[in-house]
Amino acid sequence: MAVAVIPYRSARDSALIAGRNLRVLRKNPGRMIYPLVQPLVLLVMFVSVFGNLAVAGHAAGASGTYREFLIPGIIIENAALTAPTTGLALLRDASSGLADRFRSLPMARAAVLAGRLASDAVVFAVQAILLLALATLLGFHVRHGLAGLAAITAVTVAFGVGVAVLSAWLALLINDPETAERVLFFPAIALAFISSAFAPVADLAGWMQPVARVNPVTAAAAVIRSIASGGQLAAPLLELGGWTAVLILIPGLLAARRWQAAR
Amino acid sequence: MSDPTATKDASQAATAAIEAVGVRKAFGQVTALAGVDLTVTAGTLTALLGPNGAGKTTLVRIIATLARPDAGRVRVFGYDVMTQARQVRERIGLTGQYAGLDDALSGHDNLMLIGRLAGLSRGQAASRAAELTAALGLTDAAARMVRTYSGGMRRRLDLAASLMHQPDLLVLDEPTTGLDPGSRQQLWAMLTELRAAGTTMLLTTQYLEEADRFADIVHVLHHGKIIASGTPGQLKSQAGGEGSSLDDAFLALTRTDGANAEAVA
Repeated sequence: MAVAVIPYRSARDSALIAGRNLRVLRKNPGRMIYPLVQPLVLLVMFVSVFGNLAVAGHAAGASGTYREFLIPGIIIENAALTAPTTGLALLRDASSGLADRFRSLPMARAAVLAGRLASDAVVFAVQAILLLALATLLGFHVRHGLAGLAAITAVTVAFGVGVAVLSAWLALLINDPETAERVLFFPAIALAFISSAFAPVADLAGWMQPVARVNPVTAAAAVIRSIASGGQLAAPLLELGGWTAVLILIPGLLAARRWQAAR
Repeated sequence: MSDPTATKDASQAATAAIEAVGVRKAFGQVTALAGVDLTVTAGTLTALLGPNGAGKTTLVRIIATLARPDAGRVRVFGYDVMTQARQVRERIGLTGQYAGLDDALSGHDNLMLIGRLAGLSRGQAASRAAELTAALGLTDAAARMVRTYSGGMRRRLDLAASLMHQPDLLVLDEPTTGLDPGSRQQLWAMLTELRAAGTTMLLTTQYLEEADRFADIVHVLHHGKIIASGTPGQLKSQAGGEGSSLDDAFLALTRTDGANAEAVA
């Protein structure tokens, strides 16, 4: 069959793969529980248990409650804990006959990775929107209304995609789905907890503080707190931008090379 | 579409669907291919036989652009599998040992995805998917999730996926393994139709009676080398004369190493 020359082939094929991933989610709703339902449960639990703690002024938001400090941390923590699913899904494809099918087609070679990241960016966005909607019901206030909420969603997606790229590379490096399932969540948990997600860096154990200061979770949570409640935005935004660029470029290139390599 | 990059060799080798010369491949200390020379003429059904570990799948993966040879050259319709992989992929369809399907999607969705990734428009993919599901008896199951399919249905859908872009060369790596006789018969009916329509096929199989019955040419691969080539009839007569089966020929060729094999070849 004559196949016409296709302009923008990489973008087209990535969109096709992203569409396939989202269709799989839609047709298998059980797969949405972890990325979309569990974060809501965690938010309610965390806020109900810790939200009314009396804390020192520097750990409180503009409204003076720990809740204002905690919720941005929970939003970023959930993105960090969802990111490993990108690597696991990619590895599931790589370990199945589907990988050979894709590699034997005249499609853009980077489309499987790019499409996976595009569909997971949609998941991160939906997750952030649901969390913000629930957080608003729980009393979380964001300055500048919808623009502020959109900015927080964009920050969460950028952070989530950065960590997702890292998980994609690690998963392809591990190259065994069962091992990856057991290994990939450890760095995500460490990333979430050794940070200012739940407590200011100054209140963490001494050994944690140097790591927490440079942790992208700390930068991302700080950006969201600044958007929501005011405060210095430029420095954490620059730090987060740098982290996101590094995470997308370096592990991204390494992951693409591993996926594309003929064996 | 790919003519601008076609080489002079491409026109010279117009009747050769596959030309492999001196192909070597090792995995660590294990030599999978030890200098394979193979020519597959366009329009034929060629079977590649060999015991487990003979290197059949490695050779098939190199031809399908999934693996790199350590040495040697492979051309598919004149295009080099390493340097012109895209042109090769536009002309081949692959049915591997493991179905290249997404279990979490319907049969129809799988075919649409694969057709569109192969470069078809939405309309072309939809009409080709309908045509193939009808031809392979999968119309009623097309809307069902692939995870609900039987082994035979999965194999047929996998073949349909390989045929979405109407490849000139179909590479089949043990396509009937694990199928019941009815499903094997159905698959072979389709392959026979494809051959009649001019599609070149390279097939590996463990069922020697299939090669005997359907293949135009049989190559026997052993210890990473082609040790015998010919029509099924030629191999049978070389191995044991009248009354011999392809099983007898295969066992005679692969029971002993080198000298005997080369004498037969």
